[in-house]
Amino acid sequence: MISFSDLKREAAFLSKQRYVVFFLLVALALSIFSVWSGVAETRAQIDTIERLLEKDAIDREDALSKQSDYGSAAYYSFHLTYSEPSPMAFAAMGQRDIYPWKHRVRMLAIEGQIYETDADNPELSFLGRFDFAFLISVLLPLFVILLLHDLRSSEREAGRFDLLIVTAKEEKQLWLSRALTMSLALALVLLIPFLIGVLVTGASATEIGLMLLVVLGHLGLWTIITLFIGNPKRSSSQSSARIASRLLAVWLLFTVLIPVGSDTVINELVESPSGGEIVLTQREAVNDAWDVPFSETWRAFLATHPEWESKTSMNSQFEWKWYYAFQQVGDQKAAELSHGYREATQQKDTVASIVALFSPPMLTQRLMSSIAGTNISSSLAYEQRVRDYHASLRSFYYPLLFNDGEFSHQALSGMPIFGESQANEAESSD
Amino acid sequence: MSVIKQIMWDEWRYWQRTRLAITVIITGVVLIVASVIVNAIGIQHAKHEREHLQHAAESRFAEQPDRHPHRMVHYGHYVFRTPSPLSIIEPGVDSFTGTSIFLEGHRQNTAMFADQRQSSGLTRFSSLAPSFLVQVLAPLFIVLVGYASITREKEAGTLNIMMTQGVSKRHVLTGKLFALLGAGLLLLLPMILASLWASFRGESSLVTGSYIVGYLLYILVWSGVVLGVSALSHKSSASFAGLIGLWVVLCILVPRIGSSTAAALEPSPGKLEADFAVLEELRKLGDGHNASDPAFEQLKSNLLAQYGVETVEELPINFRGTVAQYSEKKLTDVLNDFAEIRMQEELSQAQIARHFGWLSPAVAIRSFSMIVAGTSLETHHRFLREAETLRFEFVQSLNKVHQDKLDYQVDMNRSKSAETSKAARVDASNWSVLSSFSFVPEAGGVRLVQGGTYGVQLLFWFGVVVLFLNLAMRRMSE
Amino acid sequence: MREEMVVASSLSVTFEQHKVLDGVSFKVGEGEVFALLGGNGAGKSTALKSFLGTVTPSGGSASVMGLSVASQIDVIRQKVAYLPESVMLYGHLTGVENIEYFLSLAGITSAKDKIESALKRVALQQDAWYRSLSNYSKGMRQKTAIALALLREAPVLFLDEPTSGLDPSAIDEFNQLITTLASEGSTIFMVSHDVYGACQIAHRIGLLDKGKIVGMFEREGDNPIDTEAVHASFSKRNG
Repeated sequence: MISFSDLKREAAFLSKQRYVVFFLLVALALSIFSVWSGVAETRAQIDTIERLLEKDAIDREDALSKQSDYGSAAYYSFHLTYSEPSPMAFAAMGQRDIYPWKHRVRMLAIEGQIYETDADNPELSFLGRFDFAFLISVLLPLFVILLLHDLRSSEREAGRFDLLIVTAKEEKQLWLSRALTMSLALALVLLIPFLIGVLVTGASATEIGLMLLVVLGHLGLWTIITLFIGNPKRSSSQSSARIASRLLAVWLLFTVLIPVGSDTVINELVESPSGGEIVLTQREAVNDAWDVPFSETWRAFLATHPEWESKTSMNSQFEWKWYYAFQQVGDQKAAELSHGYREATQQKDTVASIVALFSPPMLTQRLMSSIAGTNISSSLAYEQRVRDYHASLRSFYYPLLFNDGEFSHQALSGMPIFGESQANEAESSD
Repeated sequence: MSVIKQIMWDEWRYWQRTRLAITVIITGVVLIVASVIVNAIGIQHAKHEREHLQHAAESRFAEQPDRHPHRMVHYGHYVFRTPSPLSIIEPGVDSFTGTSIFLEGHRQNTAMFADQRQSSGLTRFSSLAPSFLVQVLAPLFIVLVGYASITREKEAGTLNIMMTQGVSKRHVLTGKLFALLGAGLLLLLPMILASLWASFRGESSLVTGSYIVGYLLYILVWSGVVLGVSALSHKSSASFAGLIGLWVVLCILVPRIGSSTAAALEPSPGKLEADFAVLEELRKLGDGHNASDPAFEQLKSNLLAQYGVETVEELPINFRGTVAQYSEKKLTDVLNDFAEIRMQEELSQAQIARHFGWLSPAVAIRSFSMIVAGTSLETHHRFLREAETLRFEFVQSLNKVHQDKLDYQVDMNRSKSAETSKAARVDASNWSVLSSFSFVPEAGGVRLVQGGTYGVQLLFWFGVVVLFLNLAMRRMSE
Repeated sequence: MREEMVVASSLSVTFEQHKVLDGVSFKVGEGEVFALLGGNGAGKSTALKSFLGTVTPSGGSASVMGLSVASQIDVIRQKVAYLPESVMLYGHLTGVENIEYFLSLAGITSAKDKIESALKRVALQQDAWYRSLSNYSKGMRQKTAIALALLREAPVLFLDEPTSGLDPSAIDEFNQLITTLASEGSTIFMVSHDVYGACQIAHRIGLLDKGKIVGMFEREGDNPIDTEAVHASFSKRNG
């Protein structure tokens, strides 16, 4: 087996190879950059949320103070919802640049509001971020290939091969300890900035452990692939460049062809209602309500809220309770499409998770953003939290609107706040 | 000349005999052809779907029954962005921006339903877009084909033989460069054909011409880089490792580092945050639904004076409609100011990322390609602006209908009973004020001007490569 | 009978249906200098590599110190030293560092003075010991590798064309060294196409042609093997 002294010997040996040292320094610099930009971005997001919370509270206070009935209070007050980046998010920004992590909603139909996105600059999203997850999932394999593809062939080309293996106590041990030393050195330069980043953001030990496991697993896998393809028994007379070309073909297959091909197939396989359809349905429902008899709106509303059956009499052509009732009905009419839409997203994600089993870089990327809570599921979970919160707003306002009580600012102080014991207050989602 | 031709032919024969190069070229061409086809079908499909949805939205609006005009302001309208002809090659930011916007009174909504939000998430690094393949993978293919073009002659000693026979270094390099360019052109061919098709589908030939020239320059740059490194290297393995390293840095690292740098250097506050500032401004304007808002006193007295009457009831026009028009105008001015600021922010952020084109030809061609193809941030902003123009136009037309065709008294009594509510409506024929919308990118000339900087970046790279090749020729060891 | 250190029995090696070695048999005893002579493509390097386990025989067997190459190559490699035809070491290390590194690969840690005395023994000029190997000449690299072989203290030495490319005085030094080593009990197996050089130092010479042993010459007493006889036989085959 490989002993510590083998590793020490190879480490001393490699540290004198300027090319290897330079390479590792570049990798270190890249890792530092990825962690720095990740931390800076999560910091900016946390700051943004803090500032928004402050402005949101002031704005709502201000809006509410001018109101003299519950209906207007609900109409004019917006509520900030947000999903804070996890302490690990700096390492894998995942889908946070595409899926929104902040919304301001009010008690109008949720389907008309939830698809508004305050997304990042599309051109930057298109170029993609250089986060730690990208470094590990896409670049790390290339690093391993560049460092290890000519482990044996370079010795052969330099004419040292026979002398080396005749001198070494055990041939396998020599190559393994060399490969291991290089992989460990690579792991070290990639992980040290990450660990410093973790210290700064304070992720939990479990998350750190899982992240390390994923990184080392991916590194180990590519080390094995590289050693396997560079094995002289399989390609005795192969030049370094030929071996590397093969390895690049494998990289291309895993990193580009499988994901891109599967994506095309997945989009064909999974039927999804078009998003436009949802908002159109919702809009038609809400706008038609002005023209249809009140009773029609009430019938649909009472089907889901029978407790207000005795409170539907109207004294005017416009009453807030009726207004919010048809907003609710609009959501109900679009519910099926909206469900289908989310389900399709979920389903695509599920199929993608299976595809990822055949593409180690994708798997790594998915695992990392799953640990960091920045994957599609997390984004969908946030959307669900927004919906739940919206539902809790409704269950807060409905008694005030339907019971026709005297307006008091006091009564509004019990208004649900996003993120506070929301689970208890939430009604069933839409 | 015949020497150069001979060297070029010999290189091609070598590729054919050794199989590696020919495999790489065939793989590359097949991939690019497949991507052009799949992408063209996808874009055609999206184009028809969006045109259909646009049509449907317009006829739905027109088919609405008699209503109070302000209800139609809130009923709103949808616009869809139809893809540009060249997006079959360069989808650009399209799949990251929303493709439809809901237009309504008093608000500027964001574009919704970006394709990426409904995707499997597998295409964040790579995509099947021909542009990705040509910008990122084609250089890799050129490296694989050409890394040994000079080093193999050195290793076999044939370079020496050639030199002693009086073949100049310039001839060798030129011949090999032409050979490599041939391979690059094969990779580019499917894309060139697709551009010609786009030209046929309505893109100006000036645009497609420059587009093709841009990509030719890009391929030329990479061929030159590969050849130069091979000429300067002593061994094939060193040339290979160096070129792959260069490829990783230029095609994969720099673009992303540019994007992350832009995000870190110029963090954008986001729309939500800007909205608070908008809200503050808007509160000063008064609520356009409420004609008795003190903010409209000035307007009121001006109008009363103009018509020589004492009260709003006596005005020949519906004062509520006037207020709606007046406040929509004011509000839109504020919204537009903020929207322009936001677009400027986005653009300057993108420009930081695009400056990295001086560091990598891949960034240069990407910016150039996006802008010229009409799938850039600029074109998206144009879509937002055109949508806003349409929004303002139809909202104000409806407000004018409100002012001119609905009696003030009738309007004021609209909530009294079902009858008064019915009376406070205007004829559905008024809904024809909505003009039809069909989005086209900026004119070809405008896009070329916008993309000029990045064309210059490409030319800069071309210059760098010419200098590099000259240096390589002088330093080329035998 | 001295102990048999290197034995080939009916050794055959085939490369892509081409018989490079065809049933070669010989034995080398302890303390003997054995040279396998042959022209280009005679198969002599292949024969040498069969004992180092870098070439796999298609028939017959090879053994070193009674250990079978096929099954106990790892043990054999710890007991033999090998001098390649063209010695290539690490250019980014100094001569001493190269030796240290290769020794540690073999699991040997040698004190500096021991390495230095080995370098002195092979007559590598002293100012080069701590210089980067990339500036060494072929002869200097050769000497470094011989020093390495000495430090291995291996009972058996395999030398592949050890004198090719060396200048005449270096060849003399080398021959002297080999003779001394053999007298100290080392077994030396070398392949060469240099008839004259081989006759100077070898106790026995095997002549290899087209994969077969076609002649065997032995030293009688202290006199070198008759160069003329070997040469005649050699050029008849390679004429």
